[in-house]
Amino acid sequence: MRGTLRWARADLRARRGQALLTVGVIAGVVAALLIATMLLQGALNPWQQLFARTRGADVLIYFQNGTNTSELSSLPGVQAVGRPYQAASATLEQGPVKSPVQLRALTPVLPAMSAPLVVAGTWLRASQRDGAVLEASFAQAVHVGVGARILVDGIDGTTVWMQVIGIADTADQGFYPQWTPGLIWVQPGLLRQVEPNPSETQEVVGLRLDDSSAVATSQVVQTIWNLYNGPTENSAVERYSTWQQVQNSMASNDRLLGLLLALFGIIALLAAPCAIANVTAGRVLMQRQDIAMLKALGFTPGQVVRMLLAEQTALGAAGAALGLVAARIVTSSEFLRPPDGSPVGLAPLSGSWLALIGVGTVLTVALATVIPAWWAGTVSPIAAVQPSPPRGHLSLIARLGLLVHLPAALVLGARDCLTRRLPALLTVFGLAIPMVMITIALTCWSTIDGFTRDPARIGLAAAVTVSQGGLPSRQALALIGHDDQVLAYYPSAEFDTLLPGANGTFVARAMGYSWRPYPFQVVQGRMFHAANEAVAGQGFLDLMHIGVGAWISPTIDGVPVILHIVGRTLEPDNNGDVLDFGLDALRDAGSAPPQLMYSLVLKPGVSAAAARTQLLRASHDQLDVQLAANPASGLGVMQVVIAVSVIVLAVIALANLLTATAVGLRDHRHEVGVLKAMGLTPRQVMATLVVNATILTAIGVTSGILAGLVIAPRLINMQGQTSGIGSGIAAGLSALTIAEILAVALAIAAAASLFLARHTTWMADSAQLHSPTRPSRPRAHASSLRNP
Amino acid sequence: MSRSAPKGLPWPPKDSPPARGFRGDGEGGTGKRIPRPGGVRRGDRARPPEAALLRTSGLVKVYRADGVSVEAVRGVDIEVAIGEFVAIMGPSGSGKSTLLHVLGGLEPATSGEIWLRGQRVDGLSTAGWAILRRRHVGFVFQFFNLLSNMTVADNVELPALLAGATARQARKRREELLAELGLADKAGAAPARLSGGEQQRVALARALANEPSLLLADEPTGNLDSSNTRDVLRLLRRAHDRGQAILMVTHDARVASLADRVINLFDGMVADDAAIVPGPRGVNGVRDVLELRG
Repeated sequence: MRGTLRWARADLRARRGQALLTVGVIAGVVAALLIATMLLQGALNPWQQLFARTRGADVLIYFQNGTNTSELSSLPGVQAVGRPYQAASATLEQGPVKSPVQLRALTPVLPAMSAPLVVAGTWLRASQRDGAVLEASFAQAVHVGVGARILVDGIDGTTVWMQVIGIADTADQGFYPQWTPGLIWVQPGLLRQVEPNPSETQEVVGLRLDDSSAVATSQVVQTIWNLYNGPTENSAVERYSTWQQVQNSMASNDRLLGLLLALFGIIALLAAPCAIANVTAGRVLMQRQDIAMLKALGFTPGQVVRMLLAEQTALGAAGAALGLVAARIVTSSEFLRPPDGSPVGLAPLSGSWLALIGVGTVLTVALATVIPAWWAGTVSPIAAVQPSPPRGHLSLIARLGLLVHLPAALVLGARDCLTRRLPALLTVFGLAIPMVMITIALTCWSTIDGFTRDPARIGLAAAVTVSQGGLPSRQALALIGHDDQVLAYYPSAEFDTLLPGANGTFVARAMGYSWRPYPFQVVQGRMFHAANEAVAGQGFLDLMHIGVGAWISPTIDGVPVILHIVGRTLEPDNNGDVLDFGLDALRDAGSAPPQLMYSLVLKPGVSAAAARTQLLRASHDQLDVQLAANPASGLGVMQVVIAVSVIVLAVIALANLLTATAVGLRDHRHEVGVLKAMGLTPRQVMATLVVNATILTAIGVTSGILAGLVIAPRLINMQGQTSGIGSGIAAGLSALTIAEILAVALAIAAAASLFLARHTTWMADSAQLHSPTRPSRPRAHASSLRNP
Repeated sequence: MSRSAPKGLPWPPKDSPPARGFRGDGEGGTGKRIPRPGGVRRGDRARPPEAALLRTSGLVKVYRADGVSVEAVRGVDIEVAIGEFVAIMGPSGSGKSTLLHVLGGLEPATSGEIWLRGQRVDGLSTAGWAILRRRHVGFVFQFFNLLSNMTVADNVELPALLAGATARQARKRREELLAELGLADKAGAAPARLSGGEQQRVALARALANEPSLLLADEPTGNLDSSNTRDVLRLLRRAHDRGQAILMVTHDARVASLADRVINLFDGMVADDAAIVPGPRGVNGVRDVLELRG
């Protein structure tokens, strides 16, 4: 044990740079993994972070106005009671569109509990009495930003104009429109203007509980309910909400996001051990002589293996700890908010998650070290005595190359790739695996990017949906038809329909007519061209356990319709549980003409928001214009994650390259002198080394990219299929991108090897040639030896 | 974790060989001492009567590579007594180094028996050999083979630590050895900073750190100039004088003449095994030839 420790200490001291590189790579992977998990957890469940940052209430109780709430603080289980505030129901009026809102009266001084978190503009100010702060998801849904003026109607018809001065997040209730009403915070004076009748307002009290578990929370709520809504009294408690309800409502059920998280985890899990195995193998290669000597001194093979395992695991633990700290520092500062506005928290990870990642990393490091360590255990002690003779010979090709006066550096550099097979393999694999991962990550990026840049590719050709709102349909149609920003429009109708013979529903959509169907993205089969034909999303086909070519007879809008499914579309809506057909299918089946909406395909370069504004202006706010939701908007956070992972993978690849190059150069150190003696200039010697590294990099990077290009679309399509959108969503990388990746990789490899090669040539200059020449025999007489 | 001696075991090991340190005069050893009255010439010593320290019978080592087998050692029977200094000579390729490696367990024997300290050891596993080497076999190589990562002090202390010595014991032993070898001031240096002779002296100190029963030296002076050769041989002599058994491979007849006995190998077989006995002229000992020439 003491011997092992002594060796490990000396080894770490002697190879400080390498040890630091290992720790750095592991720290990078762990930090990236943590940040990605936090980001994705935040995206999947933003409540936790919001709750922490807004010091949210565990329970919100809505009392009738005037209820005496002083007893609350003395109830068992209640830790703190927030300042009660008034709330009143009202309506936000935007032309024909009316949205239910709840006004909440808060003061310019933020409360200690449930303080809304301002994300844009400012909080309420005493100086601006008509100022209003909107809840963020509500503001986004109704397209209202800071500086806008909004019209709020009270229940009795009072209308009040307000100035939007801020947008804020809260953990008090879920996102709009899933959770209504929309929240607007105003000062008490403004609330009284909208709702002068105090009996129409509620008093909202937030509670923090000693024990916020589901059971304890429901117990407290029950106690309050019984206390205030006793049989003799009026029901003083009108409603309540608990943190569990809010959390559940905020939790995203975006399966695609979850799957991408899994993909990222797999990438990190594969890349990290690859890097560590590579670094360890490199160390063993470089230390072969010393390991052999240790064995000659009496280290057992098991001891050598355990020693390497322990050393690498210690480095892994150090890296994991460092990564943890780094992730903490990076994520402590800001609450991320991607451009699409949906709040994405960096949810602080629970202790079990941290432990899982930490222990997982250390175990991964240990596992990745097992093979190189075992290999070190098998090093023969004889290696200490006999440096292995160089293998390989000048091949025919090499000789031919020299004969036709190819540069000697090129020939010798290329030859090295073949004669030093193990280091060459290490380099190639060390680069190929991260490159596979990088290619997969970039293909994910390009797919997500494709969603946003070309929504038609995933079946979202129409950016805007219009319903006639307050206008007669002919007038609405005329307005749409005359809009110069509209390329095409398709009448459509949508029905929630029961699955035939099964529990559950799907969306049946009539879009366009069979002779002029909506431009669906059909990835399998063909578009419908007859009234009895339909296309469906993957989710629907999975639900029904059918494939393209099946006949089905769902009851749509009360009328049975017989349809032949002739194709599969990419369908981002409703988890792909969608059946599409022409309006003529309904007409032929004899159903009544439905209420039509119009899906508008805009001209290239026209933004959906601009089209919406123009249509609203043209119709004097009479049309109801909705923007199509793009599933990629929720994936904005994924792009951050992908960028981080690509950086980490690049660092891993670079670390592998440096290790392999260092191993190669160490082997070359003795040769450099020989090459020089043969008449190669220092520059040629350097060129030999650089050519060697560059060729290996080219092989590794190219094979990695090729493998990635094969694997990535399959992985992504598999994810598409599982998420219901359907396979066929993957967008490949362009040839230009691939060429760029290759060029960058080669440039980095050449630069790194040039740097190391300069160092080596310089070292070889100063060091003596190590050749096992026999020195002159001692001349002393035997007799003189005998009697020293 | 390591297979070092369990706690509580004395260090140096009680069953250590009779060889004594450079300084010690046998207090550490419990084995039978070779009677060595002062002033008696080496040659006068008779072979110790007790069981041999090392004995081989029918030792064979065959290398197989690419379908070709090469017999490096072909049925060697040798015996080394406790405290004996034996030189192995022979032309290049005669199997000297291979024999030494097999005897130290660096390579497994193909067939034949090896007995060390009365125990048969040729069937030991790699780990078994490693543990045996820690306490009973020291190695010195032609190219020194110091651990490049470690300082001189660490190089010398490592075998003692491996054999279960405490850090303090190992340090004390190292200080003694390096002082004896005139390297006390180099303890903190990296091996690469030392001259060849100094490196070989460190390697010798490392090999003797655990007072092994048997010191195997493979061309220990092969890479040294004459003055360093002299230094190293003087140290080997001194170790031998204190009862250290040495088996040394050398090319150099003058170096070999230091030994009690010279075994000549030819084509992997023992061609000649003769004690160097100073006697009447006419006896065909290597030393006499050397003396004639000198």
